[in-house]
Amino acid sequence: MRSARRYLLVLLPVVALLYVLSTYFRGTPVEKPVARNMAGNHIVKYNMNKLQASSQAASHSEKVLILTPLARFYDEYWENLVALSYPHDLIELGFIVPRSKEGQQALEKLDRAVAKTQKGKDKFSKVTILRQEAEDALASHSEKDRHAMSVQKARRSAMSLARNSLFLSTIGPDTAWILWLDSDVVETPHTLIQDMTKHDKDVLVANCYQRYTNDQGKPDVRPYDYNSWVESQQGIKMAESMSPDDIILEGYGEMATYRLLMAKIYNADGDIHEEIALDGVGGTALLVKSEVHRDGAMFPPFPFYNLIETEGFAKMAKRLGYKPYGLPNYLVYHYNE
Amino acid sequence: MFDRNQGGLAPSTRKTLGLVSVFGTALYLCLSILSWVFSGELALVPFTSSSLPPMADLGIDSVHHYDLADYTGSARGQDRNERVLFLVPLRDAAAHLPMLFAHMDKMTYPHVLIDLAFLVSDSKDDTMGVLLKELNTLQSNRDVSKRFGSIEIFEKDFGQAVGQGFSDRHGFEAQGPRRKLMARARNWLLSVALRPDHSWVYWRDADVEKVPTTIMEDLMSHDKDVIVPNVWRPLPDWLGNEQPYDLNSWKESDAGLRLADTLDEDAVIVEGYAEYATWRPHLAYLRDPFGDIHVEMELDGIGGVSILAKAAVFRHGAHFPAFSFQKHAETEGFGKMCKRMGMSVVGLPHYTIWHIYEPSDDDLRHMEWMAQQDELREKERVLKEAHDKVWQSGFDNVKQEWERERELILKNVELDFDVHQKVRAKKAEEQSKAEAKVHGPEEEKVVPGVGKAALQPDAVKKVVQG
Repeated sequence: MRSARRYLLVLLPVVALLYVLSTYFRGTPVEKPVARNMAGNHIVKYNMNKLQASSQAASHSEKVLILTPLARFYDEYWENLVALSYPHDLIELGFIVPRSKEGQQALEKLDRAVAKTQKGKDKFSKVTILRQEAEDALASHSEKDRHAMSVQKARRSAMSLARNSLFLSTIGPDTAWILWLDSDVVETPHTLIQDMTKHDKDVLVANCYQRYTNDQGKPDVRPYDYNSWVESQQGIKMAESMSPDDIILEGYGEMATYRLLMAKIYNADGDIHEEIALDGVGGTALLVKSEVHRDGAMFPPFPFYNLIETEGFAKMAKRLGYKPYGLPNYLVYHYNE
Repeated sequence: MFDRNQGGLAPSTRKTLGLVSVFGTALYLCLSILSWVFSGELALVPFTSSSLPPMADLGIDSVHHYDLADYTGSARGQDRNERVLFLVPLRDAAAHLPMLFAHMDKMTYPHVLIDLAFLVSDSKDDTMGVLLKELNTLQSNRDVSKRFGSIEIFEKDFGQAVGQGFSDRHGFEAQGPRRKLMARARNWLLSVALRPDHSWVYWRDADVEKVPTTIMEDLMSHDKDVIVPNVWRPLPDWLGNEQPYDLNSWKESDAGLRLADTLDEDAVIVEGYAEYATWRPHLAYLRDPFGDIHVEMELDGIGGVSILAKAAVFRHGAHFPAFSFQKHAETEGFGKMCKRMGMSVVGLPHYTIWHIYEPSDDDLRHMEWMAQQDELREKERVLKEAHDKVWQSGFDNVKQEWERERELILKNVELDFDVHQKVRAKKAEEQSKAEAKVHGPEEEKVVPGVGKAALQPDAVKKVVQG
């Protein structure tokens, strides 16, 4: 009896040790890899030579991907989106939310809206929602701070990363068009996609205005997005004297570029289909043929020819041989804070 | 358990037992801490933001959520189920595909975590047919663990700036347009195949002959944004056995930057051509076959034979410029762009993979010359044989005849000698009887020869006179 117990006592630590060693050398248990849920042998073939983006987008059943970096969720934005008359089964949606409390709030509201729409009859063909991997360092900035020139470079660089992550994660083999629609664009014509694709341009931007109440207490509109412009001699000279790490920003008094701003040439009585060739574009309502992005035109998160984000994108598209245009008399409206 | 009354063990034994259990516990703690550290769990901590709840699954088929923080890529991807997107651009590559698939089959990284995507463009051979055949074989492997994740093939023609022959591709003038076209192809493949749940992207050319089966884990273990191995190629013995292949991986030099400043906006600097002397340190030339394979070298431009990059690099917008970006395009421009975006770009000088041997123009000329030499030698040999034959046939006969004649003469002489002996013997016999009769026959033999020789000059004279 005694010797048995002695053996037991000697054996116990040895067994424990062996157990520990074996678990150590086996490595920590990990979740078993999960295969993608695909049919047959998982092989799919796509012929992208047939892909086209034409002026008759709807009748050719061309797929449109609407992308929105979502910092705030506005009901008006969603209502406007759902009211778009382009066939919803040809529309895919993509969102990216910042990694912050504000982003989380926006995500929760978005989820509710998405769930409601996607369970309904007139649903979109697919919705992808991403959360940015990096903490949003600029989350604390108020609307006023957001426009301060000093934080613009960092803010728009972060915005570039969000936009790039979004389109590179969602663009599919049959995506013909990409419509960048900012989360604070709350009102557009319902025929936005048909109207813009009709122009058959590589890159096309609408004029982004804002509704407000003027001094006389009457409803009025004023320009909002100054990022769509035609380059000027002054702007070129300015860039030449700058360091490659600096950026030129529009809409700031201390930096007079004398560029022709699309926001300033809106004509209420003009033809809404009037086109103007541009050198810089804003991203509030920006239609891009998918091949422009596929060729590599992205939103530079670094100063590219002293330009960043959407303006840098226009420059990169031009370097790749594409031509950006704008519609000065075709308005979309920005939310008024 | 160690209660005196119940245990009843000798004090020394008890002491030993106590020590053993104390050591056991200590060891247990040490090992569990070690295994925790090395499992990569530690690396997970900074990535997950604890303050935010996980993204909700709405349970609707058409809605997908992805937290990109879950797909950032770590040094031990295989332990964390990190998905790799394996990208292969193909053009007239049917001949190389069996080799590529043999390599893929042997890769040790869990296949189920690897998604394959191919771009087939402007191919005149049966690249698509061979690809489908190889893929079907691959995916019907009885060992299910050997099958890959999702497989996508994209067909897209870009039109050809230049041919795909080695000399077409590697001539100096062809480089700019060719690299820009290659860049477009890569960007199309990347943008369409990249998904939010990919943690890594691996680019691989089809014409790699020798590559470690653990390449994925090896490159991953460095935990860099962008990393490339050294690429060499074997050579035939007459060219010196082996040679650096990929000269696109380099570190920028002052001369390179100065050169860039002198070129116009659309110019593309390409390495390995005398036209652009940049004096850059090349990854390829720094190889030591016995060097430490883990040694890293910071790079500015990289080659595209085998690139491992974190998916976030591409997601953030880095791509293969199909325009002149800082006077570079495609993979070299990609390296430059990554640096511009503050990412780490690294090469491994002593970790080598082997490209197939493709003869260059000079090699081809040399080979042609060698073939001509062979042909010449063969011709010479045949000719010599014929000559020898003719010579020998002409010469032998005479020799034999001459030999026979000589023999005969000798024989005659011998005969004569015999006769002579006999005659002498007779003579001696006869001398002893009568001496004067013997000399006659000897004189007679010599006379015809003298006669022949004497005739020849006369014959010559006759011809001249005629």
